[in-house]
Amino acid sequence: MESPGLVLVPAFLGCLALGVPIAISIGIATVATMLVTRMATGIDSFALLAIPFFILSGQLISHGGMARRLIDFAKALVGGLPGGLAFVNILASMFFGTISGSAVAATSAVGGFMIPSMEKEGYERDYSVAVTMTGSVTGLLIPPSNVLIVYSLASGGVSIAALFVAGYVPGILLGLSLMVVGGWIAARRGYPVERRQGIRAGTRAFFGAAPSLLLIVIVMGGIVAGVFTATEASAIAVVYSLVLAVLVYREVAVGDLPRILVNSTETTAIVMLLIATSTALSLDFCSLSPRTGSSSSSSSTCSFLPLAHSWTSPRLC
Amino acid sequence: MSDLTASPNVLTRVSARVERTLSVLLAFLLGAMVVDVTWQVASRFLLHSPSSFTEELAGFLLIWIGLLGGAYGIRTRAHLGIDLVVSKLEGVPRRAAEVCAHVLVLLFALTTLVFGGSRLVVLAFELDQTSAAMGVRMGVVYLALPLSGLIVSLFSLEAVAARRREGEEG
Repeated sequence: MESPGLVLVPAFLGCLALGVPIAISIGIATVATMLVTRMATGIDSFALLAIPFFILSGQLISHGGMARRLIDFAKALVGGLPGGLAFVNILASMFFGTISGSAVAATSAVGGFMIPSMEKEGYERDYSVAVTMTGSVTGLLIPPSNVLIVYSLASGGVSIAALFVAGYVPGILLGLSLMVVGGWIAARRGYPVERRQGIRAGTRAFFGAAPSLLLIVIVMGGIVAGVFTATEASAIAVVYSLVLAVLVYREVAVGDLPRILVNSTETTAIVMLLIATSTALSLDFCSLSPRTGSSSSSSSTCSFLPLAHSWTSPRLC
Repeated sequence: MSDLTASPNVLTRVSARVERTLSVLLAFLLGAMVVDVTWQVASRFLLHSPSSFTEELAGFLLIWIGLLGGAYGIRTRAHLGIDLVVSKLEGVPRRAAEVCAHVLVLLFALTTLVFGGSRLVVLAFELDQTSAAMGVRMGVVYLALPLSGLIVSLFSLEAVAARRREGEEG
């Protein structure tokens, strides 16, 4: 047997083809050589704690009236362009990405509102859905981002703050390119042009969105200035969005909170199990593979975390 | 196994109750984690004395949320999977594939989570391992593994029984 991959990879693919959840497939593929401690060590990392918090704050933002205010602000900025609602959709996703680490929250928050209103204006459903899905991916690059936290872990300790800052330019470029393509298709299909809003309505929309956008300053400012770690910033984001959603906007009742908490733990657990089983698998690869040897157990060359990362990133984080 | 499938309603009832209990517990755990890390920041800035236990407690809470939430996700079908092949199938082959998938999940839960997890718990108690900051016995923390495994087993058994019932009716 040259490499454990000869057993593990076919077992993994076989499980996938049967429709076994991916996290379980990875686990089954490693079970013969696995020590269960590795699963606990895989998720025993303080940096990972930011993921449940960013998922939770994303849920609070999308249910708490902040998403709608961000959409209104985006509408005031780019709604007057041809194919305006597509621009609004993408820009709102980018705004959402700057205050939330979770793209799935962006998809449901922005899409839940934008897709019906785009359809009402005569946009085709496939176009609206495509714009929402691709638009929400900008949030993966624009910090804070759960994907970048997993990447930091997988790469063996690249600074989360540095990764976050590095996400801005590609995230904005991606958003702009999506707008170019979306606008081009909208123009060719002759989608309607929204009425341009006055400067007054624009200012009102800005002040409506300002409390939500202040979260960028708190989270990113705090991380970059070194006031607190990414994990602590994510907890602050939860508290801030909780205050806005429950006390200021009053769009989330205290009775809704258990549901929101459970939804967040569910999403968190999916990511965590993938990370845990992937960590165990990568440790197997390190200890069994003749080339890498057993000493470099955390080396990124034999890490399977990118696998978990590539599965989870577009769908969950 | 046969008596379990013969009384499917018991299995479903128990699973539903476990799912409800889990959801309350999970909401509580995540809420506790938010309070915990917020306290970590607050104690550093307001009291100028960072508390020593919060980081460790948050780590333990994450282990419990990850493992119990993962079990919860089995019943709510929240886990990611590829249905490319299975969705092309119909009738008996499809049910067979689904049963197969759930049996594999069951095997994983029994071997790794229940068996491996129990061994880890026993080992931690035998060595009398305690955590650095809070002095909690690590065996207690690791109990999440066999517990999660038992719940996953229950939920996958329920799913297998449901498929078999479908087969008998259809």
